[in-house]
Amino acid sequence: MRRWLTGGMAAAPPARKGITRRQALSAAVAAGVGVGAVRLLGGALQNLGRTGTVVASGNSGGDWVSPLGSESARVMHLLRRATFGYTPAQLDSALSEGFSRTVDRLIETHPAEPPVLAEASTPGGRFPVAQLQQWWIDHMLATPTPFAERMTLFWHGHFTSDYRKAGDNTFMFWQNLTWRRMGMTDLRSMLMKVTTDPAMLRYLDLATSVASNPNENYSRELMELFSMGPGNYSEEDVRQGALALTGWQLPRPDSFDTVTVGAKTRRLPVYDSQKSGVFNPRRGYSGSVTFLGQIGRLDAEGVVDRILAQPATAPFIAGRVAQQFINGRPSASLTTSLGDAFRRSHYDLKTLMKALFTSDDFKAASSYRSLVKSPTEFMVHTARALGGPHPSKLIATSGAGMGQILFDPPDVGGWPNNESWISSNTVIERVNFVTAALAQARGSLPSAAYAATHHLDGVVGAQTAALFNQAADERAQWFIVLASPEFQLK
Amino acid sequence: MTDEIGINQLKRRDFLRAGLVFGAGAAGLAAGYAAVPDAFARAVYAAKQEGITNDHVLVMIQLAGGNDGLRTLVPLADPVLHDLRPKLAGSMVSQALPLNKSYGLNHNLPGIKALWDKGKVAIVQGVGYPNPTFSHFESIRIWETGDPTRRQVDGWLGRTLAQAYDSNGHPLTGCACGATDVPGALRDLQATMTVIQNQKTFGFTGGSEVEAAVGALYKGTPGIYGALFDTAIATATETVATLRTSSTGYQAMADYTDNVKLVYSSKNQLAAALQLAAQLIVTGTGVKLLHVTLGGFDTHYTELSRHDDLMGYLDSAVSAFYKDLAAHGKADKVLIATWSEFGRRPKENASGGTDHGAAAPLLLIGDPAKGGLYGEEPSLTALDGTGNLKYAVDFRSVYQEILSGHLGADSKGILGAGFDTVHFLKSPVSAA
Repeated sequence: MRRWLTGGMAAAPPARKGITRRQALSAAVAAGVGVGAVRLLGGALQNLGRTGTVVASGNSGGDWVSPLGSESARVMHLLRRATFGYTPAQLDSALSEGFSRTVDRLIETHPAEPPVLAEASTPGGRFPVAQLQQWWIDHMLATPTPFAERMTLFWHGHFTSDYRKAGDNTFMFWQNLTWRRMGMTDLRSMLMKVTTDPAMLRYLDLATSVASNPNENYSRELMELFSMGPGNYSEEDVRQGALALTGWQLPRPDSFDTVTVGAKTRRLPVYDSQKSGVFNPRRGYSGSVTFLGQIGRLDAEGVVDRILAQPATAPFIAGRVAQQFINGRPSASLTTSLGDAFRRSHYDLKTLMKALFTSDDFKAASSYRSLVKSPTEFMVHTARALGGPHPSKLIATSGAGMGQILFDPPDVGGWPNNESWISSNTVIERVNFVTAALAQARGSLPSAAYAATHHLDGVVGAQTAALFNQAADERAQWFIVLASPEFQLK
Repeated sequence: MTDEIGINQLKRRDFLRAGLVFGAGAAGLAAGYAAVPDAFARAVYAAKQEGITNDHVLVMIQLAGGNDGLRTLVPLADPVLHDLRPKLAGSMVSQALPLNKSYGLNHNLPGIKALWDKGKVAIVQGVGYPNPTFSHFESIRIWETGDPTRRQVDGWLGRTLAQAYDSNGHPLTGCACGATDVPGALRDLQATMTVIQNQKTFGFTGGSEVEAAVGALYKGTPGIYGALFDTAIATATETVATLRTSSTGYQAMADYTDNVKLVYSSKNQLAAALQLAAQLIVTGTGVKLLHVTLGGFDTHYTELSRHDDLMGYLDSAVSAFYKDLAAHGKADKVLIATWSEFGRRPKENASGGTDHGAAAPLLLIGDPAKGGLYGEEPSLTALDGTGNLKYAVDFRSVYQEILSGHLGADSKGILGAGFDTVHFLKSPVSAA
């Protein structure tokens, strides 16, 4: 039996029989697991009756032993969170650069454009969403600038739209291009862009909102979800904001194409190039509004500037980013300090992300494996680790059962994260994906021992170590690595 | 990329099953991981038998996005409705299925109307809570936790699971069908619940060796998510085993079809989810609390066609579900209840839709329900400051009747207080 794997877990306490759930909970609290964290796990400690002693050991001293004191572990931690994992070559180049220079490179490198998607010129954007999903996943796997893809996914979940309501997959394609190009610019530009983005104009109904009878949908979510968070504006602000935002319409098509669908003939719009929404003053409200404490005439830019003038905005966005890149419940002091830097820089996203990656919180022991990989991150990292032909189609079709379908978020809040990714249904689907990915990876696999040290940092629980060591061959070892709890985390 | 295959083809080929060998030791590691409750868990279960022992079942249907109450239970004789909704009111009033002189059901609810005619539908009007929020997420959380002060983090059904049942080792006591994550209403630190998106694909494609290896892999997992992961895997494996038995003992006695014209944002196969619910109920898996979701109710635009489609879909799925339960002799045990985070604004907007509202009616369907209208008719003239309907019945009054009257649970212990009573059930369950 190979013994080179170090158990990353603190030694388990002696087995205790008949521990109750409440005892385990209090043990967890006494061991310093924050009550908030434990309580919010949503059913975390429920099964102690069956596996009481084991779970108790996992929680009463069994946190992962953080390796983040070492430079190489910090680099791997960074790449897992900022770039969907890595190939051995990507890791090697980052290790030779070191942590700080890798952060700079990720942030400063201009995003690589994805290849042209020929279907996007289909009249009316009537092409299967699967092509759009596969095109993006292909680019996630092939791109030389994976951080741009990670940020594109972040913004897709933040300024979210879904293809069903957008009703035109060309609009969804454009929106994806927009988040990639703008993902590291500044919040003001992004808020202006999202307000007039064609997919968003449809998704939150701004395209049909007129001065005589405004639609509140976009105004509300612009403040609640996109910029300020609930509790920082009034219902009257929602109504007045809706009034000020009226008049925007979808861009005019360059031409129309007549298409016969069954017995029906339809005139579908054709666009020669990517476009934003257009303002129609006849539909817009030209009077005065009272919005976020100021009275006067306000256009969309004015609405965005009023929002950016609110003290709630910078910490809200900082908190959203920290939740995805640092830990599920970032401290108030962290969001305040990130928010301060963000606002001082006039909402510059490079400043925000650099402050985040170089913060003490990012490399704190408590941040190690404190986030659950989203299904897309988990699958893309799997493909990178295994190498070989890109399993884009498999990835595109496997997200649904794990709770993530690209271009089709569950609702306007985007995707929930961390504990929401864990249920009886999603864990089966994750394991089945590993089964399928290994079946597609024919021929000889890369070294599983390398995977254990370089994808799991050599920090593994007792069960993972034992199963890995006893696996009969490389393929079974790879299964253990990829299906392990360690690999689901980042 | 010709080597690429989709996951479904892979299942057919199933070549991995033979490919993975975890070594002799893995079997030993896996042995400690049991698919049936061990003696200790059984002892706990036995000790809890003094809790709820009746076989009543609750099925909550979430109409996600904010269901338009005025288009569900339609006021037939209020002229103000036509002023508020010049585009939406006409057809909805003229086509409604009258229940009495004043109210009718949406014309796409003929199956539910037929159940109403048999006295099996109770409708509570004007349900809401004080100082309503118009945020989907805040209001969903309030309904899920049963706490408008937003301090409670566990769901009201999750607390019911934890306090009144023993879900430990019996993960099917509470189940979300047709979802991938645990709905907030079912969430609780101290309870186990299952999530099954689609029973046809709910299982390990790698076969029993993979299943055993994964069971061994997820034991005593460290870290803040460790117990959650371990429980999810244990729950998954137990549920796979239960479904294997249960699916052979069940034959649908109604036509569940998801082939109705689905509107743009219905991401949920409600009929399939309810069919799975029926299977779990009739095969005696011990399921007590079920949760299913139908999305797409956030009808800010072109509500006329979209809401009608959703009503039709709800009606066909619920009708098939009731028929199936009745054919299996289980209809007297099951109460179906709808909920939604809010109703919609009485005044329509320029997009042919309605914005976020407040109070709305809830439907309670099934043999346990005492048919009729309850609560208070909401006034279309005495709207609140935001132009919304004022609530008359606190939503927790409805929860209270469900908990104490149908399930026989300690409502006050679960909801933290007592609320005005609304007796929409035929006969309260006998304390068991």
